[in-house]
Amino acid sequence: MSILANKDTYVVIQGGVAGVNAARRMAEFCYLIKRSLNVLAFVYPPDAGKTHEIPYGSGLVAVPIYKTVAEATKHHPQINTSLVYIGADRAMKGGMEALDDPHIKVVSMITEGVPEKDAKILGRHATKLGKVFNGPSSIGIVSAGSCRLGVIGGAFDNLVLSKLYREGSFGVITKSGGLSNEIIWICSQFADGITTAIGIGGDAYPGTDYVSYLEMFENDPQTKAVVIVGEMGGDLEERAAEWYGAKKRRVKLMAVVSGFCQESLPKGMKFGHAGAKEGLKGEGSARSKSDALKKAGAIVPATFGALGPAIKEAYQELLKSGQVKAPIEPAVLPKLPKTVEEAMKADEVMVAPLIRTTISDDRGDEPCYDGYPASELINKGYEIPHVIGLLWDKRLISKPEAEIVKRIMMLSADHGPCVSGALGTIIAACAGIGLSQSVAAGLIMIGPRFGGAVTDAGRYFKHAVDNRMSVDEFLAYMKKNVGPVPGIGHRVKSLRNPDKRVKELVGYVKSLNIKTPCLDFALEVEKITSVKKDNLILNVDGTMAAVLVDIGFPVDSLNGFFILSRTIGLIGHWVDQKRQDSRLIRLFDYLVNYAAPKRREVPPLK
Amino acid sequence: MAKVLEGPGMGLMKKWGITVPNYVVVTSVDELTKLGQANEWLKKSKLVVKAHEALGSRFKLGLVKVDLDLKGAEAATKEMIGRQVGSITVSQVIVSEMIPHKEEYYCAVKSTREGTDILVANCGGVEVESNWDRVKRLALEVGQQPSEDALEKLAKDAGFTGSLVKKMAEFAGKMFTCFDSEDAQYLEVNPVVLREQDSELIALDAVTLLDGDAKFRHPDWNFAFAAEFGRAYSKNETEVMAVDSKIKGSVKFIEIPGGDTAMLPAGGGASVYYSDAVVARGGKLANYAEYSGDPPDWAVEVLTDKVCSLPGIKNIIVGGAIANFTDVKKTFGGIINGFRKAKSEGKLKGVKIWVRRGGPREKEGLDAMRALKDEGFDINVFDRNTPLTDIVDKALQTK
Repeated sequence: MSILANKDTYVVIQGGVAGVNAARRMAEFCYLIKRSLNVLAFVYPPDAGKTHEIPYGSGLVAVPIYKTVAEATKHHPQINTSLVYIGADRAMKGGMEALDDPHIKVVSMITEGVPEKDAKILGRHATKLGKVFNGPSSIGIVSAGSCRLGVIGGAFDNLVLSKLYREGSFGVITKSGGLSNEIIWICSQFADGITTAIGIGGDAYPGTDYVSYLEMFENDPQTKAVVIVGEMGGDLEERAAEWYGAKKRRVKLMAVVSGFCQESLPKGMKFGHAGAKEGLKGEGSARSKSDALKKAGAIVPATFGALGPAIKEAYQELLKSGQVKAPIEPAVLPKLPKTVEEAMKADEVMVAPLIRTTISDDRGDEPCYDGYPASELINKGYEIPHVIGLLWDKRLISKPEAEIVKRIMMLSADHGPCVSGALGTIIAACAGIGLSQSVAAGLIMIGPRFGGAVTDAGRYFKHAVDNRMSVDEFLAYMKKNVGPVPGIGHRVKSLRNPDKRVKELVGYVKSLNIKTPCLDFALEVEKITSVKKDNLILNVDGTMAAVLVDIGFPVDSLNGFFILSRTIGLIGHWVDQKRQDSRLIRLFDYLVNYAAPKRREVPPLK
Repeated sequence: MAKVLEGPGMGLMKKWGITVPNYVVVTSVDELTKLGQANEWLKKSKLVVKAHEALGSRFKLGLVKVDLDLKGAEAATKEMIGRQVGSITVSQVIVSEMIPHKEEYYCAVKSTREGTDILVANCGGVEVESNWDRVKRLALEVGQQPSEDALEKLAKDAGFTGSLVKKMAEFAGKMFTCFDSEDAQYLEVNPVVLREQDSELIALDAVTLLDGDAKFRHPDWNFAFAAEFGRAYSKNETEVMAVDSKIKGSVKFIEIPGGDTAMLPAGGGASVYYSDAVVARGGKLANYAEYSGDPPDWAVEVLTDKVCSLPGIKNIIVGGAIANFTDVKKTFGGIINGFRKAKSEGKLKGVKIWVRRGGPREKEGLDAMRALKDEGFDINVFDRNTPLTDIVDKALQTK
């Protein structure tokens, strides 16, 4: 047997994330004792109508979310218990809603920092209705082998270690959440374990006190002894002592009280839980509580550490007198299935990777590019071009190389609103399309006729240099196999109207005194082609391509330099239109040559 | 519980219709002089000047001066502002008018498990403390309001007679309303005095403890809460409080000067058992600390940093019960980072560290702590099989 929570306890959880985490823990317990999940519903208005997927064994259980407690109990009439995980400012309303539901008999509030007045009103309301209000600040309630409410009991391994899969003979009542687990563990190691353990919360006025639960334990024949973990402050321990001393009780009472350190602390200095405060006239001190309990006949060890041996002694007596029999442990217990990560860590499973990467890793506290931590790169003076070098070509480029990359990007960041890319972005922006889609509208223009010639230009210049072609051989090869030479020719610029960007870039690269075979070759090509027609000059794509091949970037990455730098411009155009609140645009009819057939009659459908 | 200084405390009483003397809270003589030009009563009344700080025994410390005119009050203000008492610097004084009176009474309202107690006595000041049997009590249940009749009966029981019965009943009624409306946990006026000029009951002094947890529904609580132990919070304590207010879970830190055993335990319950164990073993606590509710690792690191900075410590007790949901590996990660930082700053020389813990990911957490031995830390690590407070016994035996 047990008190408060048992095989017939079914739960609604009021609240969000914390409640879902509790449900997961509760599902682990249900799995351990082979009962179906005892959480039947959540109440959380923002997500009403959806479900939470709670892992149970290796599967998932979908638990519905409702708007109100009434809806939850209407759909799941077995629900008789509510766990409240609602924030302190709304906890009282939630608690009242649960108490007022006729299906619900027990409400346990986990919320911390609930105003005292609210807690008192909730406690009183429950008493009036003949229900149990446990908490606030309760870690939960667990009945070994039958029911877990909340996270009390801790992780799955601890449930097993503390033998919570089967009943023992000790009842536990604590204010502290952490110590509830400690006592459950002690009872399982020094005795046969617990029947029910209850966290009543560390607030000054918990909804239900020790005495109410002692009465319940007294009436539960399986419980032979009750362990109370008390604290200074209030008078709950004194009342428990009074109850125990009032007449002969069936259960044995054992207790420890904390707060003796107060006696040697500077006056007025108090700490611990909210309820851990002395009364005005010294009542509620650890000593007065401890003395009261001893006087009433309870076993009160001097320290927390002495509690284990005391519990052992009590258990041995129970065994000797035949009141309890040594428990029979189940031969096999369910094991909680491991997650893939856990199983891999334990070398129990091998998983074939789905993708492979050789450039970056952000599993640590910061991203590493080709192995170098980003912050270290920053601190040692590296810049964006170096990051490009690491991520595109897996190498740390030199300072002059980085300067070239930077200049290339600056030169091609934008080319006004009329070019295909910018126009695409602007039209999209005027149609009210978002940033990423509008920029994408511009980027998809990049191809063989706009901006996308860099890769091809680099590829063919490199082919010529690698094969030691003469300019004539190259031009013949291109004419035969490719067509116009990528990187040569401009729509508006010419020999007489040269492209300043090209001049600038070539001038800088030449000033560095580095080997530039591709660039040199491209300039030789220009000399021949521009004589044939004066706009067949080396354009900015061709110049970039040759220089980038010369400093070692792989041919396939070259268009990336244009895409990346032009993205700067495209974002600018989108923001610019947004800022002006531009209206939808469409072409004027006079800008269209309507060459479609004149209006004519549609023939009948055959 | 959150203590409120006299000024804001009297402000709350005034809000609910309790008559209080005229008063101002000032931080400088200039401020008082300026207010003196604007307020008649400062010029006309006899004045009391008191240091407006969370200090006990202000009379003995010379931080209460009575029967002054404005000039005298200015002189007293000048003398008090900036005075150092222990760790507190007096930064404010409260200047209030003296109320000529003959009779002093007592009234308090306090929270009880069953509801609220209203206490009244027909003596006040120091007299009430030696005559506690003259204090009469009206016990109210949760949600119950005191009736006029019940309050008058209380006043009569306390020995009030004639017109004073109704007056005291009304005063106590207002005290209850203030208590109930302001989420107070304790309100005390000692003394309540009968003003000679108009025979009105005035609250001369206010002890106000509010429920800090109810702050969310009191947007007009624009005052700071005072430390409850007769001194101001230190810089390190304030810094930990600032972290505490920002995080899920909690971190707590209080310094106790002169101790040599530093505390870094987990859990509001277990932390006090650890402190008890230190005291029981004859050790001297250097601080109280506690982290709980699965706080983020960086918050635990800040707490660790403060603990390692305590002067003259010999042992650090990193204790804890078997956690329900606090991730031991993560929170220990914060502690380990804090230890490493402290060591790199030359702290922790000759300090022994004692660890005991259980809970989610306990093995990983404890292993990480054990590995600190290789980095030169004097650390002793125990798991759940060692009883909770045994590390304190071990630490204090090896002294």
